[in-house]
Amino acid sequence: MTERAGYLPGFPAEEVEWRGLRFGRAGEPLEIAVPALTDAQMKELAARVRDAARRHLKTLSVARIADIIDRAIARLLDRGDPYRQKAESLLPVITGYDAEMVRLGLTGYLKTFRKPELNKFLAEDFANPRILDEFQPLAKGGVARAHGPDVLAHIWAGNVPGLPLWSLICGLLVKAGNIGKVPSAEPLFAGLFAQLLAEIEPSIADCFAIVWWKGGDTARETALLREADVVLAYGGNDALAAIRGRVPVTTRYLAYGHKISFGMISRATLDIRKAPSIAHQAAYDVVRYDQQGCYSPHVFFVERGGKVSPREFRGYFAHELACFEQKYPRRALTIGESSDVAAWRHQQELTAFSHPDHEITGGEAGAWTVAYVEDEEDLAPSALNRTVKIVAIDSLADVAPQIAPYKAFLQTVGIAAPPEELYRLAEILGQAGVTRISALGRMTAPEAGWHHDGRFNLADLVTLTEIEHSAEAFADSFAPYVD
Amino acid sequence: MTQDQIIETLLDFIAADGATEEAFNGLALDLFAYQFENNPPFRRFSMTRERTPRTTKSWRDIPAVPIKAFKDLAMSCCAPGEAARVFMTSGTTKGGVRGKSYQPTLAVYDASMTKNFKHRFMPDRDTIRMGILFPAEDTMPNSSLAHYLGLALRHFGTSNSRYLLHEDGIDFARLFAELERAGETGEPYALLGASFSFVHLMDEMRRIGKSVVLPAGSRILDTGGFKGQSRMVELDDFYVELSARFGVKRSHCINMYGMTELSTQFYDWGNEACPSVKSGPHWIRSRVINPLTGRDVPRGETGVLVHCDLAHFNIVSTILTEDAGVETGSGFLLLGRADGADAKGCSMAVEEFMKATEGMMAG
Repeated sequence: MTERAGYLPGFPAEEVEWRGLRFGRAGEPLEIAVPALTDAQMKELAARVRDAARRHLKTLSVARIADIIDRAIARLLDRGDPYRQKAESLLPVITGYDAEMVRLGLTGYLKTFRKPELNKFLAEDFANPRILDEFQPLAKGGVARAHGPDVLAHIWAGNVPGLPLWSLICGLLVKAGNIGKVPSAEPLFAGLFAQLLAEIEPSIADCFAIVWWKGGDTARETALLREADVVLAYGGNDALAAIRGRVPVTTRYLAYGHKISFGMISRATLDIRKAPSIAHQAAYDVVRYDQQGCYSPHVFFVERGGKVSPREFRGYFAHELACFEQKYPRRALTIGESSDVAAWRHQQELTAFSHPDHEITGGEAGAWTVAYVEDEEDLAPSALNRTVKIVAIDSLADVAPQIAPYKAFLQTVGIAAPPEELYRLAEILGQAGVTRISALGRMTAPEAGWHHDGRFNLADLVTLTEIEHSAEAFADSFAPYVD
Repeated sequence: MTQDQIIETLLDFIAADGATEEAFNGLALDLFAYQFENNPPFRRFSMTRERTPRTTKSWRDIPAVPIKAFKDLAMSCCAPGEAARVFMTSGTTKGGVRGKSYQPTLAVYDASMTKNFKHRFMPDRDTIRMGILFPAEDTMPNSSLAHYLGLALRHFGTSNSRYLLHEDGIDFARLFAELERAGETGEPYALLGASFSFVHLMDEMRRIGKSVVLPAGSRILDTGGFKGQSRMVELDDFYVELSARFGVKRSHCINMYGMTELSTQFYDWGNEACPSVKSGPHWIRSRVINPLTGRDVPRGETGVLVHCDLAHFNIVSTILTEDAGVETGSGFLLLGRADGADAKGCSMAVEEFMKATEGMMAG
């Protein structure tokens, strides 16, 4: 079957060239048709979105926009809704992730965009979110109004279902015209959401667009970058650097690079009663989207000296991964990914030759692999797709010097520790560059309003116009009511 | 078997016209037993794979050693100090650790190279005037490719064949003089070198607007491909331009696929279509496997290449590469490096991390 992706307001489908991206297995092939615009079409699209955003989106209150988003999210949370059904049936085929995992993941993720949650996004970034609607008083004196960009370009990457929604919704909340470029690995969901928004609120139907081009097509990319006021891009450092080189110097560029995340388990939590459930939560963070997220753990540091030793914890953890493999099997890997996993596994085996205390445990046909090591000195990514290193360590505080060199790449740390230790570790980790600390089991589900990579979701997008106190006072002197 | 017996057996095996599956299998198993006994790290590796010579009846079941192991393990059947030559990988990994292939004698390597090279690159003549786009062997004693090209020059080059790449790069003046001379005299010419040197050469020719038509019988050999290079080059574009710049038909542009971890090379029969089918002589056989299960993938599906090279007798004969391939009736399609870079999410990948943190780590 063929399904059309993207969302191009004002462009009849027959005027656009469509390319087919193939997904699924031989038995049930799925073709996603993605739009390949010409330079001229991209320019026209940007003009339309810019104009519509000015005339419609920017005239709505932020509360009203949040209402519209909330209604769209409610539809997507309703399992009887055709949009939801389409997402549930096609996303597992496109991404290869287990259908039940996609379903649960979608629900959990979409819940972070309900109206009360959207208010959290707003409250996190603006002392008074009405600053997006009209001039509001500032603490320093004077008043200010926040303007979103006319055209906000999003360049999304990766295959984690739904990820584009985060920045797209942020763009809508600041009343930007949005043009998002979907990745070939998951080209569907952003367009579905756009269609649904347009259906719910036709007046804003022209205020956003979802496009596609083949990765590396710099001509197409440049055509969009030239039109944008703010560019937001996800991807590897090479890709981000290349985009930066093409963004005009006067355009704000927000880059979200690939990250590495890990877990920490304090000896104080390691007893026979708690260790199995901690292992379960840790394994869940690994299994969710097979470690493809920036918040997915590669390594767990386990402290020695608890009632359950790190090596014993490794046993619980491996057992949990084996159980999850039954419940949510890993997606089928490409031969390249299999090769990456095999190479990582071989590397661990080879290292174990000279380190007799290391151990490698794995599932059938390499479905998951746990490498147990003692006192590893260097932080390094795993091969993803359920490959994990468990590092036994004397004190969790010793992790800091290991991770310090990689400050620019650190993101989430899932911690199992008592409150006092949690804060003590957070202090050290924050200095080392970690930007998010969560519970184990919640690493892949950031809460609403999360400061992605420690930055401001909304505030980074806007420009403030301030009326200084002097201007107000000066104006007063010209008022008709002046004495 | 002793090392001397092995060498003698191999030289006879290579000199023969061909080998039955049975003969190949027999020698492969003998070599496995020899390597299992004399190469302790390989013995340990085989034990972790639950394979010993006693339980192994087919060359297909000999555990394939990942090429990474050449970096991490000191593998050799002879004492490393007794090696006549050590070939090393280019050492682009963290810490600059280079994989090593110890060669107690070059007799087997040289016999393997020359017989196969004659068959695949020089079937129609004994010698040809050659230009080599690679440094000479004495400047790179640990490079198996320098040795390979040195053998080509000594055994198959006319006396006025020469190296055209020196410390300061390609000697364009001399190279262009050679090409023009060939054009004027009508004497066939062979240009051999690393794939990326040809890219640099063609960049220069494009810059100055130069192209030549080499006489009939001329040929080109490139090797190494484009992985890890400063820019991506599409194979098909490469051969289109190669053919156009030098006036050599694509059927006479041969690609050699070799590795430091082997003592035998694979070739195609020209690059009229890309990717081309690669094949080797009767003393090397290949499998296409799923690297996670170690089992062969169904014929026609993409997998990772495993090679069993009898000529690589001193270390291990059976290696697991990082190259993707598809088995065909007459050989395999080489699809380049097998890695999952395309499907990644926003999680850091090993390779990217290495690159991003280069120079940050001690050692």
